[in-house]
Amino acid sequence: MSAPDGPYAPPRARRPRLPWAALVLLGVPVLLAVLGPLLYGGDLAPADGALPSRPPGGQHPLGTDVLGRDVLGLVLRGGASVVGGAVAALAVGMAVGVPLGLLAAGPSRRLDEVVMRTSDVLLAFPGLLVLMTLAATGHRAWGWPVAVAGLLQVPAVARLVRGAALAPGARTVVEALRMQGHGWAYVQLRHLVRESAGPLATDAAGRFTTVLYLLASANFLGLGLPASSPDWAVLVERNRDALFLQPAAVLVPAGLLTALCVGGNLLVDRALARGRGLM
Amino acid sequence: MRRCLLALLQCLVVLVAVFVVGTRLPGDTADVLRGELGTPEQVEALRARLGLDEPAPARFAHWLGRLFTGDLGTSLTTGVPVGDDLGRRAGVTLALGVPALLLVTVLAPLVGTVSGLREGSRPDRALNAAALVLHSVPEFVLGLLLVASLSLWAGLLPATAVGMEPGDLLARPAVLVLPVTVLTARHLCDLARQVRAGVAAQRHGAVAEHLRLLGLRERTVVLRHVLPGALGAAAQQYARCVEGLLGGAVLVEALFGLRGLGDGFVEAVQNRDLPLVQTYALLFAGTAVAVNLVADLVAHRLAPRRELTA
Repeated sequence: MSAPDGPYAPPRARRPRLPWAALVLLGVPVLLAVLGPLLYGGDLAPADGALPSRPPGGQHPLGTDVLGRDVLGLVLRGGASVVGGAVAALAVGMAVGVPLGLLAAGPSRRLDEVVMRTSDVLLAFPGLLVLMTLAATGHRAWGWPVAVAGLLQVPAVARLVRGAALAPGARTVVEALRMQGHGWAYVQLRHLVRESAGPLATDAAGRFTTVLYLLASANFLGLGLPASSPDWAVLVERNRDALFLQPAAVLVPAGLLTALCVGGNLLVDRALARGRGLM
Repeated sequence: MRRCLLALLQCLVVLVAVFVVGTRLPGDTADVLRGELGTPEQVEALRARLGLDEPAPARFAHWLGRLFTGDLGTSLTTGVPVGDDLGRRAGVTLALGVPALLLVTVLAPLVGTVSGLREGSRPDRALNAAALVLHSVPEFVLGLLLVASLSLWAGLLPATAVGMEPGDLLARPAVLVLPVTVLTARHLCDLARQVRAGVAAQRHGAVAEHLRLLGLRERTVVLRHVLPGALGAAAQQYARCVEGLLGGAVLVEALFGLRGLGDGFVEAVQNRDLPLVQTYALLFAGTAVAVNLVADLVAHRLAPRRELTA
């Protein structure tokens, strides 16, 4: 059977191919972040007599940074805070947002109103500015920016979960499950969570890059981690004046951050295009 | 109507939050001004003079009252009235934000529509991939790379604008080229992709199909139906972008040494200059609330089916 052709034919679904480019872009920084600290257990303090901003060679395969620290070691150790921070923030956002969304989709209309209106109020605030105001008031330990970056995602997550749980199809199934005598916990936690898992996963991947971007920007501005941290964003900031003297100290962490963001967005874009094609 | 109430509520939340942030700090303005040099009696006297010994609600009413009469207080570190500082910096931010905004407003619907109408074609795929990559590159990385390649290596454009006043900026537009480019890139790509997705979806939608069956020309269908629908959906994103561009492009200003509002905020944060921080936070959040309100109204006008509480 041939597909309908002509000017108004729906876009043809392409053969599903593994998105190698996206996986590699995403995988390399993540692997480095996870395995890096295991590979490089040594001390990060500059060795005696180490010169700042030396080009690659000798003892330092990627050269040294402005403080004379080994760039390879820094890069291996710096990914953990980048990826870990984003994952932690995402976890906070989900942990608060999913129950709120389910609560809003529940039987009480007043609860729904309260939750949704509150999240409307919070939705308007630009993330970086909230982080900066926090920094101004002395909340600059690692946990604060991460927690706030996570909380800023709550309105969007709650909205998404509520939407999925209130979808007409989901409602009918919920009615049926309730008539079969399944309890509240079964319906809410087993059925509705599974129902919204798909959209939530796609959203989470997109949100991962958003949070990553937010935290990296904050760290670049010197509002998050201390200046001595090996975090990739901090490395870029510290070494940017020596870009021509020691390009590796800037380009390697910057490239890894970029690869992480591009890879994540490529995967999401693919998932979204797939979803559109199937509908 | 309900939307306007929501905006008012948002403003109120911002006001309270900003005030609370200001009062919840260890130590208050009196401690900061006197430092370790003053005796406890001196600090107490100053506190009374500044009205800091009143209960918090009374002070909040006081602060609100002064805010409405336009008295924003003075900076703790420089002693300059906050209003003056803001005025000078707003010029720089506008010189940066307005061209970027114009570029985004013109280019994003254009690129998005062209791309969306040819969904799946080679130019569309190329544009989409380019937009995706540019959108994903962190702003500070893009800025660094552009400065390194175009200005430091090729010597085509100035790398920074350190110490320039708003007047000088307009006299030497070359200084603004790189900051505006970096500022535009991310928002432009974001918005163009949104418009593209909207156009592509609307074009194959039931309504467009129906209009074609009624015998309307393709051009009419696109201009009267597909485009408004796609732009309505993108209005929210556009609001984010306006708020990002005008509300102080913090990163770009820091990167190029421009002394705009974003840079002012960072500086105030680093000096822990609370009157300034409060004013900036209020200004940015106020802009965000206002722009979001307008966007919702516009989205509602362009695509009435989309309910606010969807």
